[in-house]
Amino acid sequence: MQYLLIHAIEDGIESQDGRAADSLSALNVWLEEVIRLGVDLQGSRLGPASDATTVRVRGGEVLLTDGPFAETKEQVAGYDILECENIDDAVGWAAQHPTAHLGSIEVRPLFGDPPRTILPEPKAMTKRYLLIVCVEEGLQLSPEESRRVGPATEEWVARAEGSGARLYGSRLEAVNTARTVRRGSAQVIVTDGPFAETKEQIAGFDVLECADLDEALDLAAAHPVARFGAMEVRPLWPFDDA
Amino acid sequence: MEAAVADAFRQEWGRIVAILVRRTGDWDLAEECAQGAFERALEKWPLDGVPDRPGAWLMIVARNLAFDRLRRGMRESAKFKELASLELDQPTYGDPDVVREDGETTRSGVPDERLRLIFTCCHPALALEARVALTLRTLSGLTTAEIARAFLVPEATMAKRLVRAKHKIANAGIPYRVPAGDALAERTSGVLAVLYLLFNEGYSASAGSELVRTNLCDNAIELARILADLMPDESEVKGLLALMHFHRARQDARVDERGDVITLEDQDRARWDRDEIAEGDRWLDAAFSEGSIGSYQLQASIAGEHVRARQASSTDWRAIVNLYDQLLNLTRSPVVALNRAVAVAMCDGPASGLALAERIDASGKLDGYYLLPAVRADLFRRLGQRDDAARAYRDALELVGSEPERRYLEMRLSEVTKGPSLE
Repeated sequence: MQYLLIHAIEDGIESQDGRAADSLSALNVWLEEVIRLGVDLQGSRLGPASDATTVRVRGGEVLLTDGPFAETKEQVAGYDILECENIDDAVGWAAQHPTAHLGSIEVRPLFGDPPRTILPEPKAMTKRYLLIVCVEEGLQLSPEESRRVGPATEEWVARAEGSGARLYGSRLEAVNTARTVRRGSAQVIVTDGPFAETKEQIAGFDVLECADLDEALDLAAAHPVARFGAMEVRPLWPFDDA
Repeated sequence: MEAAVADAFRQEWGRIVAILVRRTGDWDLAEECAQGAFERALEKWPLDGVPDRPGAWLMIVARNLAFDRLRRGMRESAKFKELASLELDQPTYGDPDVVREDGETTRSGVPDERLRLIFTCCHPALALEARVALTLRTLSGLTTAEIARAFLVPEATMAKRLVRAKHKIANAGIPYRVPAGDALAERTSGVLAVLYLLFNEGYSASAGSELVRTNLCDNAIELARILADLMPDESEVKGLLALMHFHRARQDARVDERGDVITLEDQDRARWDRDEIAEGDRWLDAAFSEGSIGSYQLQASIAGEHVRARQASSTDWRAIVNLYDQLLNLTRSPVVALNRAVAVAMCDGPASGLALAERIDASGKLDGYYLLPAVRADLFRRLGQRDDAARAYRDALELVGSEPERRYLEMRLSEVTKGPSLE
């Protein structure tokens, strides 16, 4: 099974009191281990939440907001895709990740079993983005919209893959499958549920490779979920410091 | 001499920043080097005289400063090459007498890249307030302190806003270009909205010093003119220019010595600026000659009807209602619907206008907007329903933001509450 780790930390907390250096070396130890064992398929740190743009389409109109999909104290700061036997193993890996010290890590199973993907080297003159697909919990779609959204999403994926813009992505299992890992001074705390109790919750994600933000925003706006959900477009961290 | 530098600053700042951003991708570097070039001009020009082509002179100095900075940093060789190619592209910089007069190179001797800069500053992925601030900083060359004063925020807050916006442009990959195809029309209206907001910020003297505010209006008009030059086929740019000139024609007449609001009806029309009206008319004609009709054009047409009436009583309200019909049809905006209700009241009597205003009130679409109760209050007053009027004036007073508007509403309220009720 594949699991998504969503690293959530408070903006700027890393730069406090030498934590950055500590967590960077801890991160390298963690990464070496998971890559050696073939557990980590891909992952990246993200640009700060202030570089995010959120796209919603309402009544045929594209609405852009400067910033993330929800103004939470902790913000999505990175992701990893792990291949594990079960969610307990995934939670175990999360507990050893340095982010668990700094903030929290939400662990969610991917929906179905998408093909395992290791991302290729970036193409020249492109930027990578994480498209975070968010939907209000318990939102009742009209029968017409529910019938439409499945096939329309498949169509969107086919088109975005065909153009080379979509590298990977998946729907996630429902938010009630989420577990969140935090590490206090002595013990690991694992709670049921997402990292933040927001109205809209992460329902899926896509890794995009685009010429610029405009192309990524166009793709986000064309996604069928944009009509009722929120699509956060976040640049991946531009430096390969892993 | 300082005037010559100030003049060159107004003409050339945006062009120079635009080119340096294009070539280096570094917004801070571009601003600092443009700044450095003008500082050099202040030292040199009093001694050597103003160069024949101040723009070309400033561009060379700014480019050399950028060169030095990049060389010292020994970094980013791609940017370095870009800058070097600037010299190859423009061999005429060193010799202003042989400046090419082709499409790219304008009379200033500096190619005009400002359109890219405007569209990037006004990118919808940036917060609206950041778009406004960035436009003023990079295109008009206002300092962070000046922009902070104009928008009544601490300088540190404004500095942070600008840094964050530039950071996002670089990191999120906001492209430095004029959008093509379908996106152009939508993005153009986004740019115009920023310029109009800028103008209104200066025009509606809600707070801040008079000088700073007038400066904002001038900057907005200046930027719209640049846009009209660079996008000659855009009728809405001309419509916006006409609208801003018509507004500015009435600027001095719309408040009294105490800063109190004088309504359109009571303004001394002799104080309206005829030159501004003529300028507005010129832009409006130019807009209509493009053959399409947009919302700024219609708003300008309405403003034009008002400023052309020599007395309030000779206002052609029928024509104005007609224009509001078209505008409402185009925008579906409840604020336009409210303005239309006022025009209908002038045309067909306060009862007809009130019926429309009550319908907007019932729709809830303008809840919290002080002008809705203010309009209702005014119409009640005209109908002699003083108690209803007083109630609505009180509602409006709870929502109103600016001091002059507040004083106006209080004055009206005391009018309708004076003496025994008529009901």
